[in-house]
Amino acid sequence: MRRRTLMRALATTAVACALPLAAFAAPYDTSRVVAIGGATTEIVYALGEQNRLVARDSTSTFPAAAEELTDIGYMRALAAEGVLSVQPTLILTEPGAGPPETISVLEAASVPMVVVPAPFSTEGVLTKITAIGEALGVPDKAQTLRDQVKSDFDTLALQVNQSDGAPKRVLFVLSTQGGRIMASGSKTAADAIIALAGGINAIDQFEGYRELTAEAISVAAPDVVLMMDREGDHSSTAEALFAMPEMATTPAAEAGALVKMDGLLLLGFGPRTPQAAQALHDALQGQG
Amino acid sequence: MMASDTAALPFVDRRTTARRAHLWLGLLLVLVSLASLAVGASGTSLWGALLKLAQGEALTLTERVVLWDIRAPRLVMGICVGGALAVSGAVMQGLFRNPLADPGILGVTTGASLGAISIIVLGAALPAVVQTTLGAGLLPVAAFLGAWWSMLLLYRVSTRAGRTSIATMLLAGIALSALFAAFSGVLIFLADDMQLRELTFWSLGSLAGASWVKLSIAAPVILVSVALACTLGRGLNGLALGEAAAHHMGIPVERTKTIAILAVSAATGTAVAISGGIGFIGIVVPHLLRLATGPDHRGLLVNAGLLGASLLLVADMIARVAVAPAELPIGILTALLGSPVFLWILLRKRGLVDM
Amino acid sequence: MLNAKDISVSYGPKQVLHGLSLTAEPGTLTAIVGPNGSGKTTLMRALTGDVDFSGRITLGDTDIATAKPYDLAAQRAVLPQATPLAFPFQAVEVVRLGLRGGIETNDRLALTALSRVGLDGYANRFYQELSGGEQQRVQLARVLCQVWRPVVSGVPRWLFLDEPVSSLDIGHQLTVMQIARDFARAGGGVVAVMHDLNLSAMFAHQIVLMQSGRIIGHGTPAEVLTDAQVSRAYGCDIRTSTAPQDGGWFMLPQSADNMEPMPAAQSA
Repeated sequence: MRRRTLMRALATTAVACALPLAAFAAPYDTSRVVAIGGATTEIVYALGEQNRLVARDSTSTFPAAAEELTDIGYMRALAAEGVLSVQPTLILTEPGAGPPETISVLEAASVPMVVVPAPFSTEGVLTKITAIGEALGVPDKAQTLRDQVKSDFDTLALQVNQSDGAPKRVLFVLSTQGGRIMASGSKTAADAIIALAGGINAIDQFEGYRELTAEAISVAAPDVVLMMDREGDHSSTAEALFAMPEMATTPAAEAGALVKMDGLLLLGFGPRTPQAAQALHDALQGQG
Repeated sequence: MMASDTAALPFVDRRTTARRAHLWLGLLLVLVSLASLAVGASGTSLWGALLKLAQGEALTLTERVVLWDIRAPRLVMGICVGGALAVSGAVMQGLFRNPLADPGILGVTTGASLGAISIIVLGAALPAVVQTTLGAGLLPVAAFLGAWWSMLLLYRVSTRAGRTSIATMLLAGIALSALFAAFSGVLIFLADDMQLRELTFWSLGSLAGASWVKLSIAAPVILVSVALACTLGRGLNGLALGEAAAHHMGIPVERTKTIAILAVSAATGTAVAISGGIGFIGIVVPHLLRLATGPDHRGLLVNAGLLGASLLLVADMIARVAVAPAELPIGILTALLGSPVFLWILLRKRGLVDM
Repeated sequence: MLNAKDISVSYGPKQVLHGLSLTAEPGTLTAIVGPNGSGKTTLMRALTGDVDFSGRITLGDTDIATAKPYDLAAQRAVLPQATPLAFPFQAVEVVRLGLRGGIETNDRLALTALSRVGLDGYANRFYQELSGGEQQRVQLARVLCQVWRPVVSGVPRWLFLDEPVSSLDIGHQLTVMQIARDFARAGGGVVAVMHDLNLSAMFAHQIVLMQSGRIIGHGTPAEVLTDAQVSRAYGCDIRTSTAPQDGGWFMLPQSADNMEPMPAAQSA
C-alpha cells in the first residue's frame, strides 16, 4: 500500500518535472515496456504505443495482437526472474501485482514501476489514460484519447438519463460452478458498469463477490442476469441457468433475460468501457 | 524354509549402503544446488558471474539481483523446505509406526495452513504489541502452533496404551483435516479481496516468495528442528517394535515422542508458512529410501533430508523453466511427480509396505 | 534377586491381581502358569514395569517403579508375545536393535545370536516374510543380545519371556527352552509365562501357579503340579504322572474324558 502511493507520487513528480522542460521527453526509458493488467495493455495499444511493449500478463488479452507478446504469467503470481528475463526498462501495472517479494526484487533490480490507479469509475478510466500517457512520454496523444473517451462517456450518460422506464435490477453472476451462484455485491467492477449502464445492482448487502443463498436470489428479484461470456462455457446457457431452482422464481427467469458479455470488455475499465456500458445499456433496454 | 538358499549368499549390511548413500545424496544435492543457481528464465550465467568475480570485475546489477536476490534465497528455501518435509514425513512414520503417516495426509499441514490463514485474515486485529514484537515471524509462529496442535490431537486420539491404531489414525487425520479446512473456509469467506489474493498465491505452494528476510527467521527454525529430528534415530528404531518394547530396550519413550512431535510441528509449520502447501515429498522420499537402504532411522533421517532437498530443487527448476517467463506452482509438480511414484510403490512392493 | 511384594493391579474398576507376592532367584528359571485370564500376563507386565501397580517390585537393588529405562534395560530384557513391525527390517537389523538396548558393543553378536536361535543364514531375510515362529525366534535373538552375558561384574541379569514357545514347533520349543535354561545355569535369572505345563515341568526350577489373579501354588514342579492343584486351577480333571525313563513330571490331558463341571475357575 505504502509502496503504491510512493510509486504514484514518484510518477507524478517525475512527470511534473519533465513537462516544462521538454513536452515530449519521456520520464523513463520506454524502449522495453511490460504491461500488467488488461486495461493497461489496452490503453497502450489505444495510444498507438504498442511497439514499446515486450511482454504482458495473462489477463491482457485485448486487442488480439497483444496475445502474441510474451506472457509473464498471472499478475498476482509473478516470478521475479521471469519478469527480469524480458529485460524490461519500465513496468506499467495495475494495483495488486505481486507477490510482494517479487515486487521488492524488481525494485532491487532498479526496474522502474509505474502503478496506474484503477478505481472503477469514469474518472478512473480517464486518470489511467493520463498516467500511462505521461509514463510513456506521450501526453498529447493521451489527451486526445482522453477527450475522445470522455465524450463517449458524456454521450452515454445523456442517453442513460433520457431512457424511460424504471431502471432494471441486474444480478451479475460471476460463476455457477457446482450449482453455487457467485454474485457481485457493491464496490466491484460489475457494480460500477451496471450503474454506468443505468441499471441497479440487485445485490447491495455485501461488498465484493460472494456465494448467494437461494433465498437471497428470490429477494433480490433481478430483472436481468448478467454474466461473462467465456469461450466453450456450455454450463451457463440461459436454460441451464434459469432451470436452477433458486433462479426459477425471479423476474429474469420468467423473461429469460440473460445478458452475456466479454469479461475484459465488461469489467476491464479501459478505453472500451463507454462502449461496454453502451452495449449493456442497450441490452438492458432490449430486455423485458 | 529354504535356509540353504539364503545361507549361500554373502551377508549384506545395509548400514554400509545407507552410509554410502549419505555421500551420494550429499553429492547429488551439491550438483542440484549448482544447477539451481545456474538455471533460470533470464539468461544470467552463474559461470559468467563467477568468472567475473574471479577476475575481480564487478557484476552488473541484473546479475547481482538474479543470482543473489532471486536464485540464491530460492535455493536455500528449497533445501530448507524439501529437507523439512522429507524428514518430518520420516519422523511421523516412525512415530506412528506406519508408512502412511505424512503431515499432508494426516492434517498437520492443514493445521499449519489454518494458523497461517488466521494471521493473513485476522492478523490486523491482533494487539499492536504482538504484531510489532513478532513482525514477520507472526505467520511462521501461527503455522507452527497450528501444526503442533494438530499433531497433539492426532496422537492423543489415535494412540491408546502405547498402541497406535492405523484405522483410527487415518480416520482421525481425515476428520482433523476436514475440521481445519472448514475453519479455514470460514476465514477465507471473511477475507477481503486483497487477502484472498494473498491466500490464493500462498495456498498453491511455491518457492517464488523466497527472500532473505523470510529465510532469516524460517531457516534457523527449520535447521534446528531438522537437526533435532535427526537425533531421534535410535528412539524411532526402538519405537518400531512398539512403545513397550522400546521402553524395555531403555529408550526414553515419552521424551522421544515429545521431541518428535515438537520437531515435526516446527519444521512442517515453518515450511508451510514460507512455501504454502507442498505435498508428497514427505511420503515418497522416506519410502524410496527405506526400500533402497533399509528402515534404520539413523541413516534414513539424514538421507531423507538430503534427498527431499534435492527433489524439491529439481521440481522447482522445472516449475520455473517449463513455462518461462511465467511459473508453475510447485505444489502441482510435486503432486504430479509424487503420486505416480507412490502408486507404483504400493503396486510393486505391497508386501513390504503393508503391515 | 527378583522380589515382588503385595502386588495389585486394576484395569479400570476391575481388579486383576490381588496383592500377590513372589520371589525369584538368579540362576533359576521360574515359570508362571495358569489358565487363560488368571493374570499371568498382567503379572509379567507388572514385573517389567509396563502397568501401574501398587506394592513394590525390586530387581537386585533397583526399584522397578522408579528406575530409568536405560538402567533397567542394562539389567533385563523382555520378550513380548508377538511383535508386529511397521517397516521392512531385515532379521539382523531387528536383532541389532537389541544390541543397542543393552551394554554389549560387539556388532558380530547379532549374527551369533541368530545362529543361537537356529536362524543361520536368515540375516538378510525380511522380517515380514518370516513365519510367526521364525519372527518369534528373531525377537528372542534380539532379546538375548540385550543381555548376552548372564552375569556382568557379579551382578546377574534377567530374561523375562512372555509365552516364548507359543508359536513354535516342538523342536524349536525345546531349543528355546534350552536357551532359557542355559541362561539360568550361567547365573542369570529367567521368568517365563508359559502355557505348556509339560515344558514348564521339564525346564523350570520353580513354578508359580495362578488362578483368578492370585497365586495358588509356588514351588518346585513336583510341589506345585499336583493332580488336585492343577485340576483346581484349570477347572478340569487332570492326572499328572512321571515319565518312566528319567523320572520327569508329565501331564495327561486324556484323563479329562471323564470331565466334571468345574464352576468357580471358569467364570474368573
